[in-house]
Amino acid sequence: MKQILSRLHFSYGQKLFLLATLPLIGAVAAISVVVALQSQELAEREVRTLESQLIDVKKQELKNYVTLARNSFYYIYGNAAPDDEESKRKVMQILAAMIYGSEGFFFVYDYEGNNLVSPRQTDMINQNWAGLSDSTGTPVVDELIRVARSGGGYHTYLWPKPSTGEEAQMITYVTSFPSWRWAVGTGVFVDDVIKTVAASKSEVEARVRRTFFYIGGITFASLLMVFGTGMIINVRERRLADAKLKSLTQRVFDAQEEERGRVARELHDSISQILVGVRYGLELAKKRFANNDPRAPEAMNRGIDSLSGAIQEVRRISRDLRPGVLDDLGLGPALKALTDDFSTRTGIETQFSTVVFRNRLDQDAKIALYRIAQEALTNIERHSGANHVTIDLRGHRSGATMTIADNGHGFETARRQNPRQGLGLRNMQERVEQLEGSLNIQSAKTGTRISVSVPLTHLLPPETGSTSASKKPVTEAPE
Amino acid sequence: MSTAPIRLLIVDDHPMVADGIEAILEGYDDLEVVGVLCNGQEAIDQVETLNPDVILLDLNMPGVGGLTATEIILERRPETRILILSMHDSPEYISSALSHGARGYVLKDVPTEEIKTAIDAVMRGERYLCTGASGSLTPEPTGDREPLTSREQTVLLQLAQGKSNKEVAAELDISVRTVETHRKNIKRKLGISSTAGLTRYALEHGVLQGTGHGL
Repeated sequence: MKQILSRLHFSYGQKLFLLATLPLIGAVAAISVVVALQSQELAEREVRTLESQLIDVKKQELKNYVTLARNSFYYIYGNAAPDDEESKRKVMQILAAMIYGSEGFFFVYDYEGNNLVSPRQTDMINQNWAGLSDSTGTPVVDELIRVARSGGGYHTYLWPKPSTGEEAQMITYVTSFPSWRWAVGTGVFVDDVIKTVAASKSEVEARVRRTFFYIGGITFASLLMVFGTGMIINVRERRLADAKLKSLTQRVFDAQEEERGRVARELHDSISQILVGVRYGLELAKKRFANNDPRAPEAMNRGIDSLSGAIQEVRRISRDLRPGVLDDLGLGPALKALTDDFSTRTGIETQFSTVVFRNRLDQDAKIALYRIAQEALTNIERHSGANHVTIDLRGHRSGATMTIADNGHGFETARRQNPRQGLGLRNMQERVEQLEGSLNIQSAKTGTRISVSVPLTHLLPPETGSTSASKKPVTEAPE
Repeated sequence: MSTAPIRLLIVDDHPMVADGIEAILEGYDDLEVVGVLCNGQEAIDQVETLNPDVILLDLNMPGVGGLTATEIILERRPETRILILSMHDSPEYISSALSHGARGYVLKDVPTEEIKTAIDAVMRGERYLCTGASGSLTPEPTGDREPLTSREQTVLLQLAQGKSNKEVAAELDISVRTVETHRKNIKRKLGISSTAGLTRYALEHGVLQGTGHGL
């Protein structure tokens, strides 16, 4: 089982789909079973009721026929003596004539089992049928005589149909003419009832099947809907993600181009110009040396001074691009330099505090936190109106946290959602997401507080110690 | 005036800079350039053989950088005067260099006479900070606590992991006495008196648990 499970690798989407469909299928299966059992029970009860109703009607009919017949010749029977053969003959004739329907007829047996009247099966007349049983072993004639002698009643057995000779179930009502020792009765075949019942049964079954078909159809439609919705959501999400990625890529490209443009301009506008100046100075010096002009060293010095200017420019550009302090000394000193510079430039009082540990963060975290601090300070300078800023950086048991707080007037959430205004904050958010860290921004009218945490995975492990310090995690880039 | 010239070792990974400085300084009679090396590890390995009075040490070098090299060289040969020669003018670099034991800090783009002045100053036992281009080369106190040096941080992390002085000494290839000195300085800087306290301090700042496997 475990093996099978481990071999099944579901994507997130597939899991969601299963989560949506499995309960549905389960519920439908349960409903189907319950419906099946219920409807079967209902159908059986219905069929039983129908059967007994139909048979009751037939029975009542039979009893009426017999009562009718008996009453119709009661005047003969009532006035006749037990041995009045003339009267008996008359009654037998009347009974023999009373055939009805396609199969209906009256029969008479005497108490000994001799058939006296059988208009549709005349070959039975004047024979003794005592002990006759049907094909399933039910006694027929003896039972009829017994029922008649005990005051009349019903008996059910199989009997050949007069029309076709086929055996079919027959219900008979029989009564007695006691003084003549006769059992008189009539019967009706109930195969039509059985047919009706069977038809109704099959109709009920068809209804159950239809119900199942409907349930199946609804289930299938629901599954399609779940699947379709899933597909639509999936496609939509992917499109959104694509669009987001595209705009992000565009922003990265824009930022890159802007930066390149700026660096190119700075190199061209400042350094190239200065170097050209140096070249003029040196050429002038060369010329003056050749002419033994005493002003040669002066031209030389001008060149050297210009070179110093060029060196300072390079230093400035390079620091703007990426402060070496960050790489060489770590985030703490870099933030210190940043805040000092910020404080000097803006006049906003800035305090920086940190712990004694240095350079324990990995490269990604260092750069991200530094850029976030830069962004935050830019926002403070431009929008907050604050005159006091504190920056705190420290490691703790679950990672490291940088907190930047100001006493400005904060910013409303609405402004944060404005795409233009919120770009900086979104950049922060994205940087933090890259690090799997957390960003917490609290802004009120009394100030803003930005707190960024990175997990322990971005803290370098303590050195295991080595014979030389060459494994030191500080990456000291060449100048 | 002392009769013996000052023994000078130049360590810089940029040949043009190293050669340029060598060429200029060779013009002084009271200076003898005993070697030109191109990284920190070479300086550490050869300092005892070359026996320099002053080392002109570049800050940024591949492999072992100037700060780390300063500490290790001083562990082996404490009488060495180290003068950091750097392109960086940030106060953070200067205060770091001084806290790691350097005697002076000179920017590479100062007039070459100033380098000679700095060498002379550190030889006299003075601290020399370049007054050149930036003008703001005074180290400022960074916060309320004196920061640990790289070496002290390494020693602290080793001690916090439960290693003995002897084990740390073996690991770092230094004497037990040096480890003890580091330990004393660490305790003084942090205001912590026990080793258990050091371990707890490291744990609370997350530096012991770091895995460094960030994505």
